[in-house]
Amino acid sequence: MTRTFRQIALLTGKDLRIESRSHQTLGLVTVLGILIIVVLGLGLGSQNNVAAFSATAVLWVAYLFSGVLCFEKTMAVERNDAVLAALLMAPLDRGIIYLAKLASNLILMLAVAAVVTPVGILFFGFDLTPAPFVFAIVMILSIVGFAAVGTLFSAIVSSTKLAGGLLAMMVFPIALPLVIASTQMMLATFRDGHGPGATGIGILIAFDVIFLTVSWLVFEWVLEP
Amino acid sequence: MKAAYWLMTIALTLIAVAMVAFYVPEEASMGPIQKIFYLHLPAAICTFLACLVCFVASIGYLMQRRVFWDDLASAAARVAVQLCSVVLITGMIWGRSAWGQWWTWSPRLTFSLVLWLLYVVYLMIRMSVESGQRRAVIGAVYAIIAFLDVPLVYLSVRLMPDIHPSSISLATPMKLTLAFWFLPILMLTVGLIFARYQLSQASTQAARGVDAVMPSKFDFSEVA
Repeated sequence: MTRTFRQIALLTGKDLRIESRSHQTLGLVTVLGILIIVVLGLGLGSQNNVAAFSATAVLWVAYLFSGVLCFEKTMAVERNDAVLAALLMAPLDRGIIYLAKLASNLILMLAVAAVVTPVGILFFGFDLTPAPFVFAIVMILSIVGFAAVGTLFSAIVSSTKLAGGLLAMMVFPIALPLVIASTQMMLATFRDGHGPGATGIGILIAFDVIFLTVSWLVFEWVLEP
Repeated sequence: MKAAYWLMTIALTLIAVAMVAFYVPEEASMGPIQKIFYLHLPAAICTFLACLVCFVASIGYLMQRRVFWDDLASAAARVAVQLCSVVLITGMIWGRSAWGQWWTWSPRLTFSLVLWLLYVVYLMIRMSVESGQRRAVIGAVYAIIAFLDVPLVYLSVRLMPDIHPSSISLATPMKLTLAFWFLPILMLTVGLIFARYQLSQASTQAARGVDAVMPSKFDFSEVA
């Protein structure tokens, strides 16, 4: 068990070290997220009848597009200089490669969300004070599920050498239960004032557990040097 | 055998249409537009059946790596998309009459739309990958994930406000007509999946035949 964690930590550390030296992903993805919020803010925010709750939907658009770019970039690193082929030859279970890649993606996505979310909340005047923890828990659970499927599909798309549009097309429909459940919970909590409800949180946890397990199981079939 | 199957399907469809036209009474509040329901519900249930076949065939492919599983999954997904399109179109026509608008973000409409999107994307992915074996693996993985996503979509859309009827009380002739409609739609589903499967198999065999005649068509080393 300790060996597994050490292997995951080693691989994740390698990804984060590459990112800290190359600055290829985090800056780009964060700026993209902010740009999406600004574009949608200009389109929607200037209309007086747009409710502050729209911030959650706008944030989702920013997370989805930033996430797809983030997953693509982190997997593309493995393609350079046949790093993936070397990684596949290492005495590692391929599920560990998935978990390490997921951990790197998750850390990067949470870092992006930490910048993009306050920007969205600020621009749309969304008042978080009634239930800040509900907002944080719902968003974190959603990002975990999104990263779980995004990591799997980024490995698939990168192995086929296809254009990036395909990753968005694969991940967006699969991630829709997260978008629907989290936006509905936000409306229930912040507009109607009766809390997120156990069903909504249950759906997010079920999504995370199901797709983490399935992605971990099928990852070895999709990975090709 | 094949001709008899399709003749039987056509005959059952004609009887089903005749039952809707002459036998079943009109629903009191919605009028004749309610009769679209006899096609709508069986098509919705057969969509799930086709999705289930696609899911099972995809697991079969990942376990055994036999091409026929992949052909079956692809055939079932195509039929699922076709049936789901019928569900969406009939639902929209019905909704226009019942609620006065073509589309509302009600749970079941949203669910049908997401289901349709999931399987349209599956077909798009298959078209985007050139290598046969790679396409089969990617398709199988996506189909498994998409099918597991379906209950989550169903649960999440139930958080949305609903105007769709959750249950409808039907008179006995209505129940009979609805039960009868399942026959031609089910036969059509099975027949279409099988026809599509045979077509995929024929094209796979044709591709193999070309490979057998020209085994080194991309191998320029032999030319050199």
